[in-house]
Amino acid sequence: MSEAILSAIGGVPQADSDEVIVASNVEKWFGNTKILDDVSLTVRQGQAIAIIGPSGSGKTTFLRCINHLESIQRGRITVNGYLIGYRERNGALIEDKERNIARQRQDIGMVFQRFNLFQNMSALRNIAAAPIHVRGMAQAEAFEIARALLARVGLADKQDAYPAQLSGGQQQRVAIARALAMRPKVMLFDEPTSALDPEMVGEVLAVIRELAAEGMTMLIVTHEMAFARQVADHIVVMDQGRIIEQGAPSVVFESPTHDRTKLLLRAIL
Amino acid sequence: MNFDWSFFWHYLLLPSGVFLHGLMLTVVISIVSQILGSVLGLAAAFARRARAKWLNLPARAYIWVMRGTPLLVQIVFIYTGFAAAQIFRFNDINLGFMVISGNVQAGIVALSLNEGAYMAEIIRAGIDAVDFGQTEAAKSLGMTHWMLMRRVVLPQTLRMILPTIGNQFNIMLKNSTLVSIIGVPELLLVTETINSATFRTFELYSVVALYFLMLTTIWGFVQHWIETRIAPARMPATVRPKGEILSFHPVAGEQ
Repeated sequence: MSEAILSAIGGVPQADSDEVIVASNVEKWFGNTKILDDVSLTVRQGQAIAIIGPSGSGKTTFLRCINHLESIQRGRITVNGYLIGYRERNGALIEDKERNIARQRQDIGMVFQRFNLFQNMSALRNIAAAPIHVRGMAQAEAFEIARALLARVGLADKQDAYPAQLSGGQQQRVAIARALAMRPKVMLFDEPTSALDPEMVGEVLAVIRELAAEGMTMLIVTHEMAFARQVADHIVVMDQGRIIEQGAPSVVFESPTHDRTKLLLRAIL
Repeated sequence: MNFDWSFFWHYLLLPSGVFLHGLMLTVVISIVSQILGSVLGLAAAFARRARAKWLNLPARAYIWVMRGTPLLVQIVFIYTGFAAAQIFRFNDINLGFMVISGNVQAGIVALSLNEGAYMAEIIRAGIDAVDFGQTEAAKSLGMTHWMLMRRVVLPQTLRMILPTIGNQFNIMLKNSTLVSIIGVPELLLVTETINSATFRTFELYSVVALYFLMLTTIWGFVQHWIETRIAPARMPATVRPKGEILSFHPVAGEQ
């Protein structure tokens, strides 16, 4: 990648407040099961935070709460300074209107484990669709940005390919470009390499690493410990719906204090 | 066997004006009913999927009744039944250049209502068959429900249900003969009328059967053309659920 990826969207998107995401005391239940238990986390402009933890620890669910793909039962989450998914009325949180939630999601990019590209659109249209239909951008401009983004993630020659014609790694790079095209203030990555064949993991991680280096604000749920350590400036360890440990990568990886973290890291390293 | 070949060939190859008018009515009624039924089905499919009870329950009731009673009963019910009970009477509509008679209107209404119920279930299944991950991705980009339906889900639904819609129209062409019961002079009723004057039942019904075979065959070609035009290559037939079956994670964080 010779040129900076974010130059395709006019540089690093800046949030209105330095604290891009503020989650405080978030609680989430599925029926009688507590999925998230008193989770608090702040993501600042330019930070790349990795969330690690065993399966079922609630890390993916927490990520999905941040753009309100999941509801929360207690606590509050603000993105870009505004409460997401809910409005406050007399101290109580009530679900917001769909239109308002949609508007806030425009500023939150998300990359899914299973890519979730639109199967009825070419790679280029996948990227340009939301800028055109959601942001109301002129077609020519949206396609220009989409082409630039595709080139930056190394897929300039794939603009007319449909998702079914792309490899997993290529699809995930298109998905990253699609999220970036909306100039999001923050990017959420939900195990972006877990569904990839081993030989394709590297090409996707390279793109994410580049974004971190350019100063994109990111929250990454991952199982790739080496990658997390390398790319993140802050590591969050979750277990059974709680944040059990967090800190600088060197601290968490080299001298973890919590027994569960030690166990988790021993299983991998 | 008593089969009058010259009678047969004459009616097959040199159909009378009345017969051709019947053919026209059959085709027009089928096309209009299929279109109206599809629109109705789309609305009913959305209502059926809605969480709101005031939408969901009426849609369920409609589909339940229309799929649960015979089409022939529905046709008579709507035209003769409603008129007899003085609920509603279908009057002829004069458009200036042509008159749409009441029984044709009632026939179209009945066929459309019936078709709408089946289309609702077909469209609902088609919508649900589109991978939910794409809906979530569209939401995460800030699309509203209607926008993502229109841009992402429904185009894929259409491609998926196209063969089924073709099948439905094939059935519609033949089911349209049922409106003969309320006196619509489509192909079957015209044939019956000619039959009552000539008593050449076998020859005439052979002719009408061949005409329907011709209609459904032509439709088969049209359907094939539409299906190939709406790019089947773009369909994700080769997409495999990679993360679940074909790969394992190289440095899995658990187990």
